[in-house]
Amino acid sequence: MVDKIVVENLSIDYGGVRVLKDMSLSVKEHEILGVIGPANSGKTSFLRALNRLNDLDISSRLSGSIRLNGKDINREMDAEEVRKKVAMVFALPIPLPMSIFDNIAYGPRRHGVKKKKKLEEIVEQSLKAAFLWEEVKDRLSSSGMKLSGGQQQRLCIARTLAVEPEVILYDEPCSGLDPISTAKVEDAMRELKNRYTQILVTNNVKQAARVGDRVAFFLMGELVEIGEAGQLFTAPKDKRTEDYLTGRFG
Amino acid sequence: MRRFKEFLIEKIILLNGFACILFVILIFFFLAKDGLTLFKTVSPWHFLFGTLWNPLAEPPQVGILPLFLGSLIVTLGATVISVPLGMACAIFIGEIAPRWIRELLKAGVELLAAIPSIVIGFIGMTMLGPIVKNLFHLPTGLTALTGSLALAFMAIPTIVSIMEDAISSVPRSYKEGSLALGATHWQTIHRVIIPAASSGIVAAVMLGIGRVIGETMAVMMLTGNASVLPKTILEPVRTMTATIAAEMGETVRGSEHYFALFALGLVLFVITFFINLAADAALHQKQK
Amino acid sequence: MKTKVMVCSFLFFIGILVPLTGAIAAEGSIQIKGSDTMVNLGQAWAEEFMAENSQVSLAVTGGGSGTGIAALINGTCDIAEASRDMKPQEWEQAKKSGHDVHEFKVAVDALAVVVHPSNPVKELTFDQLSGIFTGKIINWNEVGGKDQKILVLSRDRNSGTHVYFLEHVLRKGNEKGPEQYAPATLMLPSTQAIIDEVSQSDSAIGYVGLGYVSPKVKTVAASKMNGGPFVQPSKAAAMDKTYPIARPLLFYTAQAPQGSVKAFLDFVLSAKGQEIVETMDFVPLGKKE
Repeated sequence: MVDKIVVENLSIDYGGVRVLKDMSLSVKEHEILGVIGPANSGKTSFLRALNRLNDLDISSRLSGSIRLNGKDINREMDAEEVRKKVAMVFALPIPLPMSIFDNIAYGPRRHGVKKKKKLEEIVEQSLKAAFLWEEVKDRLSSSGMKLSGGQQQRLCIARTLAVEPEVILYDEPCSGLDPISTAKVEDAMRELKNRYTQILVTNNVKQAARVGDRVAFFLMGELVEIGEAGQLFTAPKDKRTEDYLTGRFG
Repeated sequence: MRRFKEFLIEKIILLNGFACILFVILIFFFLAKDGLTLFKTVSPWHFLFGTLWNPLAEPPQVGILPLFLGSLIVTLGATVISVPLGMACAIFIGEIAPRWIRELLKAGVELLAAIPSIVIGFIGMTMLGPIVKNLFHLPTGLTALTGSLALAFMAIPTIVSIMEDAISSVPRSYKEGSLALGATHWQTIHRVIIPAASSGIVAAVMLGIGRVIGETMAVMMLTGNASVLPKTILEPVRTMTATIAAEMGETVRGSEHYFALFALGLVLFVITFFINLAADAALHQKQK
Repeated sequence: MKTKVMVCSFLFFIGILVPLTGAIAAEGSIQIKGSDTMVNLGQAWAEEFMAENSQVSLAVTGGGSGTGIAALINGTCDIAEASRDMKPQEWEQAKKSGHDVHEFKVAVDALAVVVHPSNPVKELTFDQLSGIFTGKIINWNEVGGKDQKILVLSRDRNSGTHVYFLEHVLRKGNEKGPEQYAPATLMLPSTQAIIDEVSQSDSAIGYVGLGYVSPKVKTVAASKMNGGPFVQPSKAAAMDKTYPIARPLLFYTAQAPQGSVKAFLDFVLSAKGQEIVETMDFVPLGKKE
């Protein structure tokens, strides 16, 4: 498979504190890469670097390179372009303060889609892909903030899909959800595999095992190990990975 | 003992709450008592729609239409000037400016709020008046526009600080959510942050208008105080507040003139009341 | 929001209440209150008087002639300074409150009619002045000037000067006459504002106390009769009564003055007191009438 994202010697500082140390890895097209690790291991910073949300924090410093389809996202692309192609689903599903329809049409509209017909089509497809269509199709004009937690998270996924990204980043997308909602979100991820490259940061090791093709283990800002999910969970090469998986720390 | 203390504190707070309402009622009552006395001798119609304000004439002419329109035109002018400026400033401070500029601007805006209105009036008289006069080739620089400009300066700190609060308190996740969908910074401000902060923005505008309509000193110094029906914003006008301030000191107590000024105060009170009511309604509308 | 209404209206109410009630007289001191025109003069007298009589303390405040008279009637001041006569209604109220009000003429204020230095008009009769200020004459060419609209400036209604000019110039001495300032008249809050405006606007006309006249403005000679004689405003002309626009400045007391109030009044009317009048740019009373 082709490498979609190639990260080389990536280091990130926040106001002088190094949160990511000299990291190199690649993400293949159409795979789900699970990223696990204890708190403060740099997982979220890693994700936010991939779609340049770190730019918003003026105290952050980044070195090394991140390439998307061979293009350096920090030097050869502008932030909006990167974020359109590499979309993010956040830990807390927060719909924008507008209707369900407008939440999903928000991205396409910003990228120049004006026709009502086309927008309706995009909204329907995105909601279907996120397994939400059946539940909300009769109340598209009601506020997105009135949905339940699981529905809100799927709405956020649908809104992400609507901009037709190439890569979707998930930052602990199920941390606030019940098991049934979690299962639905995971179903959506598996369904999306054929079309998107996905990176899933999670605290839930089992979730990484359930949906990840490959899994990376981060510790204190370092990449300890990356490998096939089956191999990493059953026969970790590094002692620290084994310790984490067996619950000795973190 | 502890329960008694709790009880006491609760009642004191309750009492304070009622005291506030009582004050409003008392103020209204006093205003109404003297204000309505006017209508024993002057018909409300002549008071509200009369076009001549000559309280020293015999019999006094107390038509407040020119004063009402004077207040209206000055307030509208100040709103039109201050709202876009204040909004732009609030957005810049809240969303765009780097931290050090932000701190500098906030301090500057707070300083602007601390300038006494008489100082603004003074500066307006010596600087703004001549500029307006020369710019539009007018016989005098003391016009509604001059007043509006000075009042805009006074409203801007109110508008900026409340709007900035509203904008800063928009959850960061809205902004990130929008940016993560590939929206530009401006699109995010325009489509997400401003709508999300809209109730605070409406409140800011209303409070700004409230500040403007009640302002007295600067308008008295800058608007020329001629009680004509204003046709353009480039003419001298007389506002309701300036009229009360200018004439109360010299009026004979218990005269028709005296009661007319109270009635004018009553009109101002009613207007302010409705502005606040409108602001409240707007806020509740948004919360639904 | 609700609090805002409350605070606003409360402050507003206080704002109109305070000038009415006036300061509460402190015991053992003389409270002097009233005309803004006279505040500085009253202060100058008070300072000089206190320097000579250290046991007496005087407090002088402004607020307007009406404020002072109201305070006198309410018993919150001992002397009301006024740049206009008490109105019949005020006499009545004073009588009702049991006061026996005495009036004293303490100085004279001459009013100068001023125009922009470039204005060719040199003299105006009372008829012309009345026409200009009531809005019947609206162009300078009607009184011998350029073809230009007249910008009329006046003090606001809280000023004794406003009332005096209305009664003695606009109404030509008929105090209850029908004449009114034209609605388009700009009512300015201070004499300085009139000077500033006249010096900036070549079509303006206004009136100010003689002490405020500066080279930035030009005074106009005035005549009560059509055809003259026209007299330029000056202290001398005001003292020998040839200049027609001069008004008395007054003290009112609630009873016949006694004790330190009387001492102060005597001082004000003394040669020394009248010297102070002159240094403050007002016109002294001159010889006893």
